[in-house]
Amino acid sequence: MPTEPDADLVLTLRVNGDRKRLLIPANRTLLNLLRQDLGLTGSKHGCDVGDCGACTVLMNGAPRLSCVTLAADAEGAELLTVEGVSVGGALHPLQAAFHEQVAAQCGYCTPGFIMALKALFDERPDPSDEELNEVLGANICRCTGYTKILAAARQARERMNGRSA
Amino acid sequence: MLPLPTFSVLSPRSVADAVGMLTDHPEARLIAGGTDLLPSMKYGLFSPPALIRLGGVAALQDITTTEEGGLRIGSGATLRAVGRDPRVQRLYPALAAATRTVATSTIQAMGTLGGNLMLDTRCAWYNQSSFWRGALGGCLKCHSGPEGAICHVAPKGKGCYAAHSADTAPGLLLYGAEVELVSSRGARQVAVSALYGEDGRDWIRRAPDELLTAVILPPPPPGAVVHRKLRARASIDYPLLLTAAAFDPEGGPRVVVSAVGPRPILLSGLAEAFRDGGVEAVAEAGYKQVSPLSTHV
Ligand SMILES: Cc1cc2nc3c(=O)[nH]c(=O)nc-3n(C[C@H](O)[C@H](O)[C@H](O)COP(=O)(O)OP(=O)(O)OC[C@H]3O[C@@H](n4cnc5c(N)ncnc54)[C@H](O)[C@@H]3O)c2cc1C
Ligand code: FES
Ligand code: FES
Repeated sequence: MPTEPDADLVLTLRVNGDRKRLLIPANRTLLNLLRQDLGLTGSKHGCDVGDCGACTVLMNGAPRLSCVTLAADAEGAELLTVEGVSVGGALHPLQAAFHEQVAAQCGYCTPGFIMALKALFDERPDPSDEELNEVLGANICRCTGYTKILAAARQARERMNGRSA
Repeated sequence: MLPLPTFSVLSPRSVADAVGMLTDHPEARLIAGGTDLLPSMKYGLFSPPALIRLGGVAALQDITTTEEGGLRIGSGATLRAVGRDPRVQRLYPALAAATRTVATSTIQAMGTLGGNLMLDTRCAWYNQSSFWRGALGGCLKCHSGPEGAICHVAPKGKGCYAAHSADTAPGLLLYGAEVELVSSRGARQVAVSALYGEDGRDWIRRAPDELLTAVILPPPPPGAVVHRKLRARASIDYPLLLTAAAFDPEGGPRVVVSAVGPRPILLSGLAEAFRDGGVEAVAEAGYKQVSPLSTHV
């Protein structure tokens, strides 16, 4: 008996710690699931084809471009979006550093940078400048010229490692 | 926003399930990391009725040592997992290096080695939105009716020159890697050197019902193997030129060049060139064997 493909599917996952269960069409992207079905518009719709990083989220701790991820691939996953990064109402050190360094102009790219950098810091608490730059190279910013973003990433690194910056 | 076409999804948990589903639904496409497939589907390049998701097949992600002293890398291992594996770094440094030049660190955490070897050939006239392509009437590779029957890169030619752009292919070819392809008819192994065809439309010698399960590497050759990539920006971009080079003090240089046509090219006659004129002569001999066209995106 051939298996029949599912045109709609029931998806169970955790988003920013909350358990969600939804019925979605099979062709839903993870980005549209977040923005349309869950109303979490922090993850941005930039290029929509994997070029820019504005839609970056963490899936089971690893960075993912949600615009080129099937929502179906998030079955059972633990997702973290920019809405879930602050701790108990206080900004995450990365967010605080972006704010203090004014590392955003239009700000459209900011959630993607925060999430890609968070993925790095979660794995490597004290990354080198080279590692920071590699992550900055994964995301496109058309406004800042990256200087302030690098300054913010460095500031977050210093503060998170108990050094003054 | 670029909407995805409508399709249904199949979610196998084992290799046997995945092969069964592919047999039952030969028109379905496999999806691993999705970083090549989904952008192309958003551009309307093809719209399969079903996608078979390989992400749930844990067995495809294994990396194991073979009895011969090589490695068997599951097709579903991410580029990041391959590049970070200490055995890959020690035995196959050019492969580890190639995984780190693909796109970006985020895409390396998503994209798989299998997806990389199965990467569609690319062209500035093909990897575009339906709207963009429609304005031109398509091309040989995107089959848009009678007006599509022209190659915009070589209008007088009959072939498609879309470029092979998979960063890991040249190094794997030099290491003598083979891929394992499994279907309901059984399993077969094909050398990476024999995997690719000469036309950008028909670039892969894999039957539609075959699942790429693993990349099998023999013990590394004596001497060094290196990977080099030329691209417009130091990040994100697909290659303008890929090379992998091996040097064996006994056998001389071996060089693979890619991203200049539909398949990686193993250059010939380099041992003689090296003997007669050193590295300069090798470069000269190589230059004569490739004729890149302006296909790059
Ligand atoms: C912005 C951007 C830049 C990129 N730059 C590069 C680059 O510089 N170099 C490069 O090499 N790639 C690049 N890529 C392409 C892509 O990210 C990688 O090639 C990646 O390794 C593809 O793997 P995947 O698992 O995401 O493949 P998918 O998109 O899931 O699949 C790719 C193809 O392989 C088939 N396939 C997947 N798994 C199997 C299997 N097990 N058996 C049979 N067929 C299978 C799919 O059906 C599909 O046709 C880039 C992509 C983006 C979005
Ligand atoms: S919106 Fe996903 S990478 Fe640009
Ligand atoms: S601040 Fe505008 S794109 Fe980065």
